[in-house]
Amino acid sequence: MSNWLTRLLSGSSRPNTELPHFETRYVVVNTEASGLNPDSDRLLAVAALGIEDGVLDPRDSYYAAITPSADDALSGLLDFISGKPVVAFNADLQRALLGHTLGNRANALAQPLYLDLYYLLPALFTEKRELPGRLADWMALLDIETFQRHHALGDAWAIAQLFLAVQGRALSQGLATASALAEAEHAYRQLRRQA
Amino acid sequence: MTATAAEMLVGASSDFLKRFSPFNRMEADALAFLAGRAVLAFHPKGSAILTPEMGQARSFYIVQRGKVQARQVGATAVTEYASMTLGPGECFPIGAISAARPSTNSYLAVEDSFCFQIGADDFLQLMQMSPVFHLFCTQYIASLLNQSRQQLQTTFTQRAAEQQTMTTPLGQLVKQAPIHVAPETPTRGALEKMAEHRIGCIVVADRDSRPVGILTQSDLLPRVVLPGFELSRPISEVMTANPHQLPTSASAYDAALEMATHGVRHLLVIDNDGKLKGVVSERDLFSLQRISLRQIRAGIDSAQDVEALQRASRDIRALALNLIAQGVGAEQLTQFISALNDALTRRIIALALERHDLYGIDHAWFAFGSEGRHEQTLSTDQDNGIIWQCPELQDVERIRQRLIAFARDVNESLAACGFPLCKGNIMASNPALCLTLDEWKERFSHWIREPDPQALLNASIFFDFRVLHGNERLGDQLRNWLNRNARNTPAFLRMMASNALQVSPPLGRIRDFVLEDDGTIDLKTCGARLFVDAARILALRTGVDSSSTAQRLRQAATRLGGQQEEVAAILDGFHFIQLLRLRSQHLETEHGAPGDNKINPDSLNELDRRILKEAFRQARKIQLRLKLDYQL
Repeated sequence: MSNWLTRLLSGSSRPNTELPHFETRYVVVNTEASGLNPDSDRLLAVAALGIEDGVLDPRDSYYAAITPSADDALSGLLDFISGKPVVAFNADLQRALLGHTLGNRANALAQPLYLDLYYLLPALFTEKRELPGRLADWMALLDIETFQRHHALGDAWAIAQLFLAVQGRALSQGLATASALAEAEHAYRQLRRQA
Repeated sequence: MTATAAEMLVGASSDFLKRFSPFNRMEADALAFLAGRAVLAFHPKGSAILTPEMGQARSFYIVQRGKVQARQVGATAVTEYASMTLGPGECFPIGAISAARPSTNSYLAVEDSFCFQIGADDFLQLMQMSPVFHLFCTQYIASLLNQSRQQLQTTFTQRAAEQQTMTTPLGQLVKQAPIHVAPETPTRGALEKMAEHRIGCIVVADRDSRPVGILTQSDLLPRVVLPGFELSRPISEVMTANPHQLPTSASAYDAALEMATHGVRHLLVIDNDGKLKGVVSERDLFSLQRISLRQIRAGIDSAQDVEALQRASRDIRALALNLIAQGVGAEQLTQFISALNDALTRRIIALALERHDLYGIDHAWFAFGSEGRHEQTLSTDQDNGIIWQCPELQDVERIRQRLIAFARDVNESLAACGFPLCKGNIMASNPALCLTLDEWKERFSHWIREPDPQALLNASIFFDFRVLHGNERLGDQLRNWLNRNARNTPAFLRMMASNALQVSPPLGRIRDFVLEDDGTIDLKTCGARLFVDAARILALRTGVDSSSTAQRLRQAATRLGGQQEEVAAILDGFHFIQLLRLRSQHLETEHGAPGDNKINPDSLNELDRRILKEAFRQARKIQLRLKLDYQL
């Protein structure tokens, strides 16, 4: 077993999710799979992008295909995340896909705080759409483009831009930290469940 | 692995950039460099991306998506509406970042927008790497900026003028229900309301919204501050009762007339029941005046000969007098005179260029002194010069002779249009003022190194240069160089400060004012100049590029961490003195006497006397600052 897991499990404590956005590093994580069913479909590639100081820097990025080495690809990804708050679109699916491939090491995924744009977008941009929607819907609503759809990094690029917009909107609503965003997401999910 | 991800994203960014000029023509390595350094940020609708107040521009932005509005701040009055909307692929602030100075525009996201940005250092490196980009930036600064802004300026002014004219009923002019208070409101509460809403006056109205009084900002000094009025007493004791009112059906013209007749700056607008509908200020009316401004402007731009320009020049004067009569503020007024005079001078230069072939000679026309500062009054003689660069392998003196011949032509036309030839020969046709960039630097550095009294006097005229026509970049380069050198020579700034402190404001210990032998005060040498000199020193010290006194003080204060309210008070003082100068010139020109800057304080009414005194106190305040800074 590679030493990434030991590194991950030993050192870092939970990230400080109470800092303002511009002092928080967020990691946008996205995957590419042969389909949308985590039980039957295979993970093909993973991608991640760092967001610091409200800025998206192309050099601060990660992409790896699962072949030849799934272990290398995923350890690289977990290294890149290194316990920072994770932003994803449809986080449950992403985690399930990653978890399947990680197998008994999946508990490494439990560590960071997850923010799911699938819920956060309709929670914050109610005037655009009140219900959750597909990534393509939100890209169209917020007029966001990417260089390649359905590609782990291509979609991550779009998700990262959506998250920049979420940060901007969140600030104006007084949601200044990662945990404030997590709470907003939680509240929205509760609301949807009751509805 | 990481490299692959970055490569993909950088590739995507460069694919995006390639859709737009000049990036589509840019060298491959330069484009790769740009895309590799560009990070993406989001700017929510309504947020400021870059403003002059943010100081030296640190990033260069390329709009990726959305709309960014560039709006000129301050500067000349005609550009008040000049704004430009930037869309995907367009970039800013080119001038500010290449000259490493604050942006003169504010850039606001008018939609949710994404912008790529690179740091100032990367921008400069890109300019060096890429001849295409270099050319793009230089040309942008030199021409596009000038021309497109001027065009936009005209169209915006026209539009503004066409939308509203002086026949507009006041009912349409008042925008919102005015802030008003009840007569028994404690004065403090009323003043707090004024401060909170940043309004120039507060209306006092009874329970049925019928106005019973008004208190304006200019009342505060004589009625509240100076007498030490007890702020807990009701506003009704200090307000002007029975304020001037007009019905909603009255026109803007009626309002102007009413204001001019009674010497007031605010009028209340009431409906048929006598209920308060709004307040009209002289400022609201001034924006309606643009119709005549547009006509004059069109007259200038279409003029084919000096005779036509002479008519335009008379029109400018007539309109200026008209506006003074209506009580328009000094800052707007001088900017407005300056803007029209600029247009006139540019037209004269354009006509002269038809007769003189200067093709291939990189040059610019300089305005110095008050014209350079955008602070021209009505009786200003010419102060101008030329900056140029000698093309390689050409004879410097022969080109200078050609430029001088051209300048003489322009100087004479200007004289014919009412700008007297300069007695001190500070004119572009003077070979000593028709210099190459290097020669100007040499002259300036001579004054900075050896600041004898003559050098300091020269600095006070020539350091206020501004490019009126031609290649702005030459002026930018000289300004940049000058700021750097002056800042690095504190001894020179100290001499300038000590020189500026030679004259103190004419405030008496026993009497209000110290008068000259003929019983007058010279508002130029003992008034305006105190502010102008101090502003110049602060600007050189803090590296402010603007040549206007108001801009210099505002920007220097931001860098020095000064209070904006304090600066506003100083500028109010300066503008009041300028207004008195304009007013007295106006009266004297009407009587046919040559305009000078002397005023007999006894001829002022009590209110103006007090404000003048306060203005001089502000001058003393700014001088005190210099004294402390330079330990003089």
